[in-house]
Amino acid sequence: MERGYWIRSKPVYSALVWQQQANAHLVLVEGSAGGLAAMKLFQQMLPQQSITVIYETEAGGADYTAALKKVVPDDLQVFNSHDAAMKALEAHLPEALMGLRIYVAGSEKFMWDIAQIVLHYGVDDADIAKELTGTLARSVYCVHCKAITHNAHTNIQACSGCGKKLFVRDHFSRRLGAYMGLMVDAEDPGQIPEIEEIYP
Amino acid sequence: MSHINVKVAAIEQVTDLIKHFTFVREDGQPFPVFSGGSHVVVSMNINGRIQRNAYSLMGNPEETEAYHISVRRQEKSRGGSVHMHDALKVGDSLQITFPVNLFALEKRARKHLLIAGGIGITPFMSQIADLERNKANYELHYAYRAPEHGAFSKEIKANIGNKLITYVESEGGVLNLRNLLSKQPLGTHVYVCGPGPMVVAMIETARTLGWPENHIHSEQFTAPPSGESFKIKLTKSALEIVVPPEMSMLEAMEAAGVDAPYLCRGGACGRCELEVVCTDGNLLHHDHYLSEAEKAAGKKIMPCVSRAKCDLLEVVL
Repeated sequence: MERGYWIRSKPVYSALVWQQQANAHLVLVEGSAGGLAAMKLFQQMLPQQSITVIYETEAGGADYTAALKKVVPDDLQVFNSHDAAMKALEAHLPEALMGLRIYVAGSEKFMWDIAQIVLHYGVDDADIAKELTGTLARSVYCVHCKAITHNAHTNIQACSGCGKKLFVRDHFSRRLGAYMGLMVDAEDPGQIPEIEEIYP
Repeated sequence: MSHINVKVAAIEQVTDLIKHFTFVREDGQPFPVFSGGSHVVVSMNINGRIQRNAYSLMGNPEETEAYHISVRRQEKSRGGSVHMHDALKVGDSLQITFPVNLFALEKRARKHLLIAGGIGITPFMSQIADLERNKANYELHYAYRAPEHGAFSKEIKANIGNKLITYVESEGGVLNLRNLLSKQPLGTHVYVCGPGPMVVAMIETARTLGWPENHIHSEQFTAPPSGESFKIKLTKSALEIVVPPEMSMLEAMEAAGVDAPYLCRGGACGRCELEVVCTDGNLLHHDHYLSEAEKAAGKKIMPCVSRAKCDLLEVVL
């Protein structure tokens, strides 16, 4: 990677910290690393306001359900599938009030799936606290056939729609929740640079 | 800056202190349509001195035959509102700027919560028209001192029915901001226009309850406060201008023939920002635009409302 290169659309994530000024809190975490991120949050303090935690566990990984049950005072919901966790989020939002602070820890796919759901409730992704945990895997949008390929770990990823070898850019779409992918050998067909795992 | 020449077509005394002015264009052309919450700057000639005040457009944004503003007679007027009330007659000519909107509705909001205090109702009059046309979910909470101050209360009630909630202070009506802001659905945007303390209270309450900044909207036009006289030096044009006690820096520069940039003239928009080179005293910031850190740093000043307590202030213009 070129030194000093940075693209404005690439999201920058940080560690979760409770917002002191709030009406209520909603914490969504994914997998083992997400579960640990939630535990770290409860290490900071136990806020005054009501707290809901939605935890999507990961098959084969460490499960923090037992530990979270001890620290989450009000409402802990544990799911073993992504769809069930997202349904629980959808169920929580219609009655939610302004001042709800939303915290997410997980993969980029997890956090941007959530961002797209809460956008329907008028919440801007900038107002969601996001911590990247577990994996750096990217979702890639093919600018040629418009298919989105999830879980890309390499600098070059075969498109799940058209099969073209896509160079995974840093250019990110918040609307799509994916990085732009461009055909890497469009100029010189067949000339594919070395494929390396850079998003473990 | 381009202007529209207008004529006063009608003047209506709405309350003891508020007059409603209807403007038509002198050239007979339709006015541009605007968006709810827009304002214009009205230039008036007060005994040879040009005074410019910003007023919200309160008519229907799609109505192009006339523009409407309402002016409250200010007790501590610098001449503008008193001139509008006492000197302006039907048929008189004025210049206004094209509409500018610094108080726009957020179209993605799931609900709009409008909060008006007194004459702060005016920008909401045009916003209501937009909200009704778009069938948006909204409420208008309107607080005023006594029944006789509730300008447009009846007219709004007739238009929007129970989406208007009024609080009349003399009848014991109290707008409890904390109660109101703590029960709004996710995705609500709040808008406030009214007296300074009310605007500050609303913003602080919303922040305390965890409302993100981009869901909190306010408009406040500050009249430039008077102060002590001081001298300004413009580095590019090498001019020295004395700012008298009752004039703003911007007005003094304009009186000296300088074409200084401006938009709102009320410390809200930031258009007139000037870079400060140096001063032998202190800057007195009165705007709502610069952050506290920027004000403390003293490198920028908004000449429409801010001034300095000094002998000489040097700015880049």
